[in-house]
Parts: sequence; structure tokens; C-alpha cells
Amino acid sequence: MKARDKTWPWKLLLVAILLGVAAGTGVAVGKIDYKWRWYRVPQYFMYLAEDAQKIPFDGTVGAIVKDKKNAKVTLISETSEKVVITVAADSLEVDEGEDLFDGDIVGFTKQWRLGPLMMGLWTTLWLSAISSVFALFLGLLTGIARVSKNITLRGLAMIYVECIRGTPLLVQIFIAYFFLGTVFNLSRNVCGIGALALFAGAYVAEIVRAGVQGIPKGQMEASRSLGMTAFQTMKDIILPQAFKKILPPLSGQFISLIKDSSLVSVIAITDLTKSGREIITSTFATFEVWIVVAAMYLLVTSVLSQLVYYMERRLAVSD
Amino acid sequence: MIKAENVVKIFNSRSGEVRAVDGVSTEVARGEVVVVIGPSGSGKSTFLRCINGLESFSEGHIVIDGVDLADKKTNINKVRAEVGMVFQQFNLFPHKTILENLTLAQCRVRKRSKKVANEKAQYLLKKVGIPEKANEYPSRLSGGQQQRVAIARALAMDPKVMLFDEPTSALDPEMVGEVLDVMKQLAQEGMTMIVVTHEMGFAREVADRVIFMDEGKVVEVGTPEHFFTNPQEERAKLFLKQVL
Repeated sequence: MKARDKTWPWKLLLVAILLGVAAGTGVAVGKIDYKWRWYRVPQYFMYLAEDAQKIPFDGTVGAIVKDKKNAKVTLISETSEKVVITVAADSLEVDEGEDLFDGDIVGFTKQWRLGPLMMGLWTTLWLSAISSVFALFLGLLTGIARVSKNITLRGLAMIYVECIRGTPLLVQIFIAYFFLGTVFNLSRNVCGIGALALFAGAYVAEIVRAGVQGIPKGQMEASRSLGMTAFQTMKDIILPQAFKKILPPLSGQFISLIKDSSLVSVIAITDLTKSGREIITSTFATFEVWIVVAAMYLLVTSVLSQLVYYMERRLAVSD
Repeated sequence: MIKAENVVKIFNSRSGEVRAVDGVSTEVARGEVVVVIGPSGSGKSTFLRCINGLESFSEGHIVIDGVDLADKKTNINKVRAEVGMVFQQFNLFPHKTILENLTLAQCRVRKRSKKVANEKAQYLLKKVGIPEKANEYPSRLSGGQQQRVAIARALAMDPKVMLFDEPTSALDPEMVGEVLDVMKQLAQEGMTMIVVTHEMGFAREVADRVIFMDEGKVVEVGTPEHFFTNPQEERAKLFLKQVL
């Protein structure tokens, strides 16, 4: 049978289905009484902050030097002390020679600041990054312990993995925060990171175990027959090969970790999800904010999976 | 050089114990080439793997250069560094280049500098006839070339003994010759070798002694001339009739 090279009808079908879904959603949304206020969202990414600049003593306004953006106001106190304050030119609230009392507003400085969505995203990112590093180490150790000859190590690793995989992450976070956090006096960030790392570590351990067991036995034998120790063999021969094989499932696990980190919002860590919830309480733009939050998670995870895809191709040189 | 005394290896399988190696005793002198032949499942590979500790044995002693493997205090890694092994499936490290395959253990175990190890590796690659492949990955090499690299890798450790576990069984017929040539050359240079193989031609030409094993036991020992022309045991006669 000749291979069919016409793909455009199928692409067309794909587009049609996507448009259909979009239109259907649009019609359904149109039927309910919801006022979309997308214009309220951007300010939660970045906003122009205005900080009031006040006179620190009773005194008078001296010279005011204006350029396009800023105005430099010289303030003179009753004891002839001079202070220069810079404010935005269009926010100037005083004139030359005016008498002011301590605490009166001279003007405002304007500055772009990151809004709660960006701050939340940042929290999510560093929280996930630190948890990932710990999870990787924990998973590596546990995974190797799982294939070790030592029964104690194997038993410990198995109990850890089974306990973590058998309970919901949400419950683990509550236990980490309310029980362990209270007993050992840990901060909420430590509890959050700890719970995420322990959770992901158990899954990483299983991935590592599968990866190590997937390397042919001959590799271990060849390396040991050259006089290399078990540790050297693991480090130089088995793990580098295993790592290449487990990169796809491992990256999937870390992408999961980023998404799962949204659960730490229940112990009042202001991550992206919690920021979203807080914004909703002040704007009532529920639909918009959740859609934006989802899009931000999606952006981060797709960047990560592209990065892994690139690494996979780099590592494929010896195949 | 190598002395095996009543070596027994028992595998516990579901159907009961299997005595894979059953009371094998032999001695290999320095510079001697011993070929072990026998039907599959006769325990010849298992015996070979016992010699460098890849299989633990249940009873008996294996003494290599005065070191007893049965002694618990023996550092098996030190013994293995002196005993080179070549596998049926080559077992090159696929994530490392040919050069790295040859230098890794030299640096890690023999504590040689990168430079010394590289020189040694280049010299050995020339010796096995593939100096131009130094920077390739194993997957780019043919089976015969891979096996020659595996021999060079074992030689890089300056072993006192070389063990070959069916080194040509996984090769295309046309590549068997190039590997056997390297092994012949090695034998001529006076390397102590124990070779498990089905290559009767090689056994006849190169071996100082042939050991015929069946069901875990040594059935017959002799010079190749004696063994191939005038075997004494019924089992050996039957085997030779099948393979020759």
C-alpha cells in the first residue's frame, strides 16, 4: 500500500474540532450572567506603585528643579538644615516658598513593581526548584537502596515509598505542617518544601529503581570484572546510562511537582494558586484569574518539557 | 598461577538444587593457555565466572597468585584487577567512547594519570588493530571490533590472567577470525589464558591443554592432540562426533 502523504484534511479536522470546542464554550458562557473584566488582570502582573514622599521636619520649600520626569525639591528646616527630595514631576504637591509641617506630602515617586501574580509565580518556582533538588537526592538514594543487597536498606526504602505513595499529598502536607511543624517548630516553607520533596522523592525512587534495573547485567559485571568497586560502578557506569533512560519519566515527575506545589497554598504559603485566590477575593474576577493562573502554570511546565526535550537530544549522541 | 580445588557451585532453583559446578579441580600454570569445552549447561561458564568472583562458589578453594578467593578477608576488587575478563556480549560501556572505555578503570583502579592511561589505550588499540576508532562510541563499531575493544579494555589493566567467556559466540561468522587472531597473538606473547569456547579450531591450534566438562564435572583433560584424536571418555567422544 502506498503511503498517503496528504495530511491537510486531518489538520483541517483538528482545527475544526478546536474551533467547535471554543465556540461551544463561548455559547455556554454567553448564556450565564457573567461580566468579563479582563482589564482588571494586568495590574496583578505589574503595577505602577506610588510612594508618598514626606517632609521630615517643619520648614519651607526652597528651590524646585524640574526636568521631564522628576522634580528635585529642596526643603529647608527652621534650623537651616537642607534636604533634597526627588519626586515625579507630575505629582508635585508643593510650590516654592510654601511652609510645610513635619509629615506633609511633597509629592510621589513612581515605580513599576511586580504584582501578586508574579510574586506568587516566583514562590511557586523556587519552592518547586528546591523541592526538586531534595527529591532528586532522596529519590536517588532510595532508588539505589531499593536495589541494594542489604535487607535493612531495602526494607527502609520500601516502607518509605509505600507510605508516601499510599497517602494523598494534601494529607501529607497537613501532617507536615500541623504535626511535624508543631513538634519540631518548623516554618511553613520548610514544611511545604519537605512534604513536596518527600512526596516526589518516593516517585523518583521508583523511576530510578526501574532505570537501574533496566541496565543490562553485563554492564555491572564488566565494570566489576575490571576491579571497580560497587560505588564506582554505580557512579560511572550504571547511573549515567540509567539517567539517560529515565530522563523522560523524571521530567514528568518534576512537572507534576510544579503542579502539585499548588497544594501548599492550604498551609498559607502565598504561591501562584494562593495569589490567585487572594486576587479573586478583591476583584471577583473568578473566571479570568483562574484562567490566567492555569495559563501561567502551563507556560512554566511547557518551557520545562522543551528544555528536557533539548537535553534528551544532546544525550543521544552515543546511541 | 591459578589453582582450583574441588570447586562446587550450587544454584537453588524452584525444582531443587542444581550443582552447576560439581567438584572441579585444576591448575593453570603461568603462560599456559587452557581451553574449556563442553555442551551448553555443562557449567564451564559458571566455573570461569567463579574465578573472578562474578559468581560466588559454595565449596572449595580458588587460589590466584597465592590469594584464596574463599577467604573472607580477600579483597575481591584487587583480585579482579589482576584477572581480565572478556564476555560473550562484549559489555562495552555504551555511554563512553572507545578511549574512555579503555582508560576509565586504569584511572579509577590503577590510579594512573589520564596521560599514561591514554597512551596505554592507544597502544592497545593499535595492537588489536583499530586505532582509528578511539573517539567513536561502541554502537558505531561492528561486533568483531567491539569484542577486540573489550579485549583491549581488559588488557589495559595489565592482568596476570585473561578469562574468555565464549568470546566469539555472539559474532557474525565473518568476524570470528579477527577476534581469534587477537587471542592467538596474545597466547603467543605468553599471556595466561582460560578460554571457554566452541571454536574447536582455536582449541586445537592454540591450547596447551583442553578441559572437557559435562554436568558440572571435569570429564577429560589432555593436550589438544590427545583430546581431539584419541579421547578416552565416552561422553567426550559423543560430543566431538556432534561438533566436528
